[in-house]
Amino acid sequence: MASIVRLSSVCHRGVKPLFARNTILPRELLACRTLREKDCIQSSVQINASSSSSHSAASSKAASMHWTGERAVSVLLLGMAPAAYLYPGPAVDYAVAAALTLHGHWGIGQVLTDYVHGEAKIKLANASLYTLSMVTFAGLCYFNYKDVGICKAIAMLWSI
Amino acid sequence: MALLLRSMARPGFQVCRSQFGVLYRHAVPMGTTAKEEMNKFWDKNTRLNRPMSPHLTIYRWSIPMVMSITFRGTGVGLSGGISLFAVAAMVLPGNYPEYLDLIHSLSYGPQFLAFTKFALAFPVSYHTLNGIRHLAWDTGKGFKIPEVYRSGYVVCALSVLASIGLACL
Repeated sequence: MASIVRLSSVCHRGVKPLFARNTILPRELLACRTLREKDCIQSSVQINASSSSSHSAASSKAASMHWTGERAVSVLLLGMAPAAYLYPGPAVDYAVAAALTLHGHWGIGQVLTDYVHGEAKIKLANASLYTLSMVTFAGLCYFNYKDVGICKAIAMLWSI
Repeated sequence: MALLLRSMARPGFQVCRSQFGVLYRHAVPMGTTAKEEMNKFWDKNTRLNRPMSPHLTIYRWSIPMVMSITFRGTGVGLSGGISLFAVAAMVLPGNYPEYLDLIHSLSYGPQFLAFTKFALAFPVSYHTLNGIRHLAWDTGKGFKIPEVYRSGYVVCALSVLASIGLACL
């Protein structure tokens, strides 16, 4: 006595088909319910995603550019290791000072983002990091200028 | 027969009806960002003084876990060392060769020097090699679990070898 009805005839035509003469099995009704649930959840997810992306399009670009910048500096620093060995001198000294400080600044920044919570603490931690990085860069540049320079310093240390 | 079908259809209609109201309630755009949600979580839990569930003390440590935190540890350590060096360069009197002569006059023997060189070279080589591993992950490669372990072992072995090599220079 069971009459098989296409699921689509029940699911996409709203409530009316339920009163129509074609019969539906409880099984198909259950399938229709879960399908509807998924549709509704999907549409709510889409609303969520679209609203967040429309008002935060600018800020999310900044984060991805930061990410790319981090990787670029990492690769640059990697290339400076052989450069420091083969062509030691002021150019590489200052380049290493800059790349090293920036790499360290962004790296510690990620560590702070992971472990420091709370508006005030985050602000304090980031401000301290900025100070530390500026002092580090200043110190390295001073060393490059007044003293032997980074490349020579490592060479001298290794030949003690 | 018709009675049976009508009795099935009625509860079906009621269920569908209630679904529409309940599920469309989700169709409201979120007003907070992920960062705000996270801050709310931390603020509430610190305010209520809730203890944190044990995690690091109970979870089984794995090679990838240990390598990851060592990567972070060497990064923070190296960064701290560089900052210390930079501050010392500005604050301490005299210049670099003088300090090297001081160390030279104090040295306890070739083994001590070799060991110190190894101790300095290891964090650098480990951080560099694992950094390359990270960059490979950033291109999307090497995420399968056997690959993660294999690349991890390679990084560990190469770090030790590179450090020994550098210490012998």
